[in-house]
Amino acid sequence: MTNYLDLSLIEINNKLKNREIKPIDLVMECFSKIENNEDLNCFITLNKEEAIKKALELENKEVDNILFAIPIAIKDNIITKGLKTTCGSNMLNNFIPTYDAYVINKINNCNMIVIGKTNMDEFAMGSSNQTSYFGCVLNAWNKSKVSGGSSGGSAVSVSSRIVPFALGSDTGGSIRQPSAFNGIVGLKPTYGRVSRYGLVSFASSLDQIGPMSRNVLENSMLLNCIVGKDNNDLTSCEKDSEDFSRLIGEDIKGIKIAIPNFYVNDNINEDIKSNFNNVVNILKNKGVNVDYVDIDYIEYSVPLYQIIALAEASSNLARFDGIRYGYCTDKKINNADELYKYNRGEGFGEEVKRRIMIGSYVLSGDNVQEYYYKALSIRKIISDGFSNLFKNYDYIIGPTTTTLPYNIGEGQNDAVKSFFDDLLTIPVNMAGLPAMSLPIGINNNLPIGMQIICNKFEEAKIYKLASFIEKELNLNLDPRGDLNE
Amino acid sequence: MNKLLPTIGIEVHCELKTKNKVFSNSLNVYGEIANTNINEIDLGYPGTLPTLNKDVIDVGIKTALLLNCKVNKSMYFDRKNYFYPDNPKNYQITQKSTPIGYDGFVEIDLGDKLKKIYIEEMHIEEDTCKSIHENGKTLLDFNRAGVPLIEIVTKPVIDNDNEAVLYVEKLREILLYGGISDVKIEEGSLRCDVNISLRREDCNVLGTKVEIKNIGSISAIKEAILFEIERQEKLINNSVVIVAETRKFDESIRETVSMRLKETNNDYRYFPEPDIPRLLIEDSYIEEIKKTLPILPSELRIKYKELGINDITINALISNMELNKYLLDLISMGTNAIIGANIITGDLLAYLNKNGISIKDTNITIDNLKCLVDKLESNEISSKIGKIILSNMFESSDSVDLIMEKNDLKLISDENELLNIIKPMINDEIKIEYSKNNEKTIKYLIGEIMKVTKGKANPVVVNDLLSKELSK
Repeated sequence: MTNYLDLSLIEINNKLKNREIKPIDLVMECFSKIENNEDLNCFITLNKEEAIKKALELENKEVDNILFAIPIAIKDNIITKGLKTTCGSNMLNNFIPTYDAYVINKINNCNMIVIGKTNMDEFAMGSSNQTSYFGCVLNAWNKSKVSGGSSGGSAVSVSSRIVPFALGSDTGGSIRQPSAFNGIVGLKPTYGRVSRYGLVSFASSLDQIGPMSRNVLENSMLLNCIVGKDNNDLTSCEKDSEDFSRLIGEDIKGIKIAIPNFYVNDNINEDIKSNFNNVVNILKNKGVNVDYVDIDYIEYSVPLYQIIALAEASSNLARFDGIRYGYCTDKKINNADELYKYNRGEGFGEEVKRRIMIGSYVLSGDNVQEYYYKALSIRKIISDGFSNLFKNYDYIIGPTTTTLPYNIGEGQNDAVKSFFDDLLTIPVNMAGLPAMSLPIGINNNLPIGMQIICNKFEEAKIYKLASFIEKELNLNLDPRGDLNE
Repeated sequence: MNKLLPTIGIEVHCELKTKNKVFSNSLNVYGEIANTNINEIDLGYPGTLPTLNKDVIDVGIKTALLLNCKVNKSMYFDRKNYFYPDNPKNYQITQKSTPIGYDGFVEIDLGDKLKKIYIEEMHIEEDTCKSIHENGKTLLDFNRAGVPLIEIVTKPVIDNDNEAVLYVEKLREILLYGGISDVKIEEGSLRCDVNISLRREDCNVLGTKVEIKNIGSISAIKEAILFEIERQEKLINNSVVIVAETRKFDESIRETVSMRLKETNNDYRYFPEPDIPRLLIEDSYIEEIKKTLPILPSELRIKYKELGINDITINALISNMELNKYLLDLISMGTNAIIGANIITGDLLAYLNKNGISIKDTNITIDNLKCLVDKLESNEISSKIGKIILSNMFESSDSVDLIMEKNDLKLISDENELLNIIKPMINDEIKIEYSKNNEKTIKYLIGEIMKVTKGKANPVVVNDLLSKELSK
């Protein structure tokens, strides 16, 4: 088997340009790696036939951009025309879309090659990939551990070096948390930076698609490709085009960083804290100013998320009734009520049903005032708290997760646990900010990640600091170890 | 025992006449083959998001202005959540908290006085798809899904069936003349719900409200209200408690029948639509739309009266918006309004009605029509010739002059030619008659001359010549 995909993106690009390798070599390598790693369960649907076809088509085309012919894995809640899109649910087990998501058009424009659709928590509801109808994804570093979620398949497909890139989605931490658990770089862009058209909505006001990659520079290159104002998404923003890698390499001396006390509280695993503090010390030694600060109500982010995200989800998931598409029961149906009851009762998994019920409850009757509108006003206060901090600081940083990857099966009976996995990532979604999870250490062969948060539309600044830290730490993030040894 | 008084409120749903649907770019057209004007947004496919058709906002603001409403300058949309097979997303995008218009009125003429029917609010929402029930199965046509609707809600200020009918008729007229909607009840582009309660004359608290949904015609509105008042009166007089319920008017038995009790109604779990950002409307934007407001029938009536057009003709014009447009164009071109109105509501309308066609199906152009009216006004042609020319104009796209030439309809104005006809008719006998009765004799002679010339003698010239010849 070839190992071209272990090279850096720039090296692969050069080999393609020099005709040393062909797109089909990359595609075939991907599929043989998928076969060798079948036990990880990263993929729900493979796009083998189309990927090969595309690779052959590209042979005669000019290698006109850095992403040309690069294989990419797509989270299965991003709509792909003609390619089954399940959202990790029995509800959409037979759903073949008729259109492409905006981001799919974007990556097609760069002539990237979609390898397949990755496993995920059902409708992105979960943080350990254990709610998927298609089974859980194994952590490439330790197969008895969870991959994290909900973009677990995307994270593991990158960390196991099957593909250099994956797209994920992040509603409360679904890109960053599995990125941290798998030692890869995952970015949740500013809300509105990437069009949500074709992302199956979980919580419309929080959802955002983002790039997942092996390193910081390559992450910025994928972001370059997928951003842009989309007239089909009224929440997407008009911004001048920019190169997100442009600040990489700039001096970081004198920058101001805030660390919320909440991000280093007693609930955080000690190993994570010590790895994080190690980074803080490196930064301080390089002349970075670091302050510890408080953000009002940030400790309420989890209950806020449960109200806002689940309220929106209860409405967004109402369309799945089996009438126009999706799961349809075998039972004899006598009326519309039975149709909803059986199609939805059998099509959705337990976690999704639990969340739809909570969401419906907080919007019901007077509850909407008591829960939903109150949550919105506190969300505003948290968001303003972040904005105020950014008047004085360039960055906010902290760990990505409170724990290391845990054993598969753990916490499955605890309905609240998965929310607390996202304790440190949710506030960022509440404020609509961009944030990255960056690997900062390996502890007992399990990766640890930290978050770098910036003000809205300052992704380029995130890449600058992340790249600096990445270089300083110089970690080997290949779970297969050093292949040359 | 004192009298029972009805209190009525009306909700009207009206489909807007925009080119596209409200939240997708599918076409907004009626009567096409089922499920042809649809896309993945209309079908509520996973991953789709709504866009917002600017035309709908413009028409919404226009409607608000026509109904004397205040325009909401900061508005958003809400989701109304309920499960029904005709509701593709199982939520409807509507405006609950910030309707585009509020606090308006429509004035109705009660004969002896004018009454303002107050509008509580009017909001934009999307239509559902159409369900067709056949042989125990339900078929769904998504062409209607996402068609823009405006719902107009009155305050409970309507006192009886007569006021209700006058209100709906007036509202239809405004929406039609405003270019807002086709207002075709039979095609469902206008749908009415009526709320009725009864209270004792000496009681200030409104009685329990009963809603009658989706009434199919204006006459049915009247019938439904009268039936419902009588039904509730009987119940109250027999000390039966009225229950809050939704009823429908059954056209076959001409009665209202219960659909469901209000207690079992849906809890709609409204919340702000997160996929559509808040919309801010500037004053200058509203001012621009104000400039585009058309003349409404109430103003037209005053204008036509001032021009000397009679009431019957005015009513005929107002009830036919298309023909009315032709008269307005004629007037704006400086043409005689009375002659124009008479032709349009007379021979022209009769021809259209007889053939069951619209003026657009004929060859009539506004320029030809103006030419015809001008010639009649200047007496260049007689009204008899006018009728012949008009009948040719329906079929032919020739100019009036060409029609006259081809059909040999030109008036004879040449004095010598006319004198050749007149002179043999003048003798002493006639002159004596003339001395007895000027007018009658001239009229008689003109009649004779017209017979000879088949109506083509120029009456003005003939009149002049006759007076001269008879006075010799």
